Amino acid sequence: MESLKEKKIKKIKKIKKDDLKILFDKLRESYTVIGPKLSQGVVVLSEAGFEDLPAGFRDYQARGTYRLTDEKAVDVFSFSNGPDSFKRFLHPPLNEIFSFRKSKKGIAIEPAAKEGRPIAFVGIRACDTWALKLYDRIFLEGPARDPSYSALRKDSLVIAVNCPHPGDNCFCSSMGTGPEVTPEVTDVADIVLSELEKSFIVEASTPAGSDILEGIAGEEATDRDLEEKRSRIESCKKAMKKSVPYGELPELIYRNLEHPRWKDTAKRDLECGNCTQVCPTCFCNSSYDLIRLSGFSQKGAELKGVRIRKWDSCFSRNFARVHGGNFRPSRRARYRQWMAHKLAYTKEQFALPGCVGCGRCITWCPAGIDITEELEALKGVR
Amino acid sequence: MYDKTIPFEAKIRWIKRETRDTATYALKISDREIQRAYSFSPGQFNMLAVPGIGESAISISSCPADRDLMHTIRVAGDVTTAIDRLNVGDVVGVRGPFGSGWPIEETVGRDLMIIAGGLGIAPLRSIIRQILKSHPGGSRAPVLLYGTKTPKDVIFRDEFPRYRDVFEVHLTVDRADPEVYWRGEMGVVTALLDRVTFNPLNTVVFMCGPEIMVHRAVPELVARGVPGEKIFISLERNMDCGSGICGHCMFGPRFVCKDGPVFRFTDVEQFLKIMEI
Repeated sequence: MESLKEKKIKKIKKIKKDDLKILFDKLRESYTVIGPKLSQGVVVLSEAGFEDLPAGFRDYQARGTYRLTDEKAVDVFSFSNGPDSFKRFLHPPLNEIFSFRKSKKGIAIEPAAKEGRPIAFVGIRACDTWALKLYDRIFLEGPARDPSYSALRKDSLVIAVNCPHPGDNCFCSSMGTGPEVTPEVTDVADIVLSELEKSFIVEASTPAGSDILEGIAGEEATDRDLEEKRSRIESCKKAMKKSVPYGELPELIYRNLEHPRWKDTAKRDLECGNCTQVCPTCFCNSSYDLIRLSGFSQKGAELKGVRIRKWDSCFSRNFARVHGGNFRPSRRARYRQWMAHKLAYTKEQFALPGCVGCGRCITWCPAGIDITEELEALKGVR
Repeated sequence: MYDKTIPFEAKIRWIKRETRDTATYALKISDREIQRAYSFSPGQFNMLAVPGIGESAISISSCPADRDLMHTIRVAGDVTTAIDRLNVGDVVGVRGPFGSGWPIEETVGRDLMIIAGGLGIAPLRSIIRQILKSHPGGSRAPVLLYGTKTPKDVIFRDEFPRYRDVFEVHLTVDRADPEVYWRGEMGVVTALLDRVTFNPLNTVVFMCGPEIMVHRAVPELVARGVPGEKIFISLERNMDCGSGICGHCMFGPRFVCKDGPVFRFTDVEQFLKIMEI
């Protein structure tokens, strides 16, 4: 039985580039399709069709800089990650957890229903599949399975892409999380696309992915195609400009928790929290009770409201505040908490990398703080 | 099973004033089914919610065998202020229990020493009451060292005579109060260690109190020969979710809510040394 299932999901096809439209159409039958789209000069993720793909666009990214260029490339997925990631959809920035009514009689609580069609993500990069795997572990495998995340994640589909080019701030190859969607993450990537010069190699790695692939006509992928796929991944790896000393993590962080560099970074740090908002692995959040003015009723002294969970950031001043004090009053400590959580703690907490090397935090930092450079500085003399 | 992410309702059965700012609340879970399914071990905590105000992590101060589910709460922030305004018969939301409890199995065949500071006695009262009920046939009486700011701040004052039946109890205050006759010691809780004769190699320590107390007491204990692996401390951090998905309570790589709040000292030693971790 097991072997039959395995046989069924091992499916490799080669499709023409335009046939990607068929894939989109097929997905639309039963999913809400979320894909890359241009919006205000940025590649974002939103409900999108094949026509919306910013095919051939290239972006220029540097510290604190993101620009779409005029350069037109042949490859459909030649653009790299924008600020968005799947987390906006599976862990919404403002998320209703439950609604409550409090009266003299007692408290009535109604969990928020998460309805709607399951989501299909198209064009998720290798780095983000690692982040998604981490999210699954945080929200689904913790002591209490999170109902909101599990409802949104249930039946969702991920069409991942092997990157043809690295972004300017990418460093996934040194983190071991890209640019190729490797077997470690094919359990979250239902289908993996590899772009060749004239076609796509499409591989299904889960039964759900193989069901989708069923209805798409394609050719057999030849050895030469697979060779081309391999060489493209290799050249993408070679073109990556940034890197981190992955082998030295997490000890490099643990050894240097009192390094003077933290203080130096804190001087440049604006505490805007941009990095935590764009980071695909940052999951920290806060909950609060929201009561509208209309939530008060004189009759029976009733009170109506909702519990909202919103994204929070360890850069927030009150993040570690308790009655009578704050555990991280200094900016230095808050920056250290963020970086140490990314590069050291997560690995210990969830046995997965907490940084996937997507480079978003570098691009979207208005102060131009570069995590790879900060890490390099920790290696320096104290 | 009930869902730990959604609060259930509990009614306040009675309230007992402990000190000027602290009171013990006995709760009764309204839903019979949840009441039956709900179980906790000493040292765990609940998230208490006042709808419209918010939630707060409060340790359970009763023991599992007690009839009521008790929480001893000091007025400190928004939620605890709101709880303070509640009366008998009012309702609160409860989620839990969360966290690790005191490792009772570690005390088998060993001498237990409990060190508490201020409100830190609340999660320890759970284990104290359990020991009172079960009367372990150990060779020595377990030791209870308790320090507060002033004699008026002693929580569970009326219960100490009962504690003395089983425990060797020593109390200390930071400063005396002219209005209260005080027979205990004055000074920090670590000074009480001189009052006790104990075999350090056979001692297990359960400790909860302000972090400054932990910083002072642990080196003192270690210097007297208590192995670091046998010292257990209950830590406090900002908590929001209780199940390791909000990130607020992170203490180095540990989530205080799900990996703690009770930690083996040697597991957190390296991070306790670092300020603002």
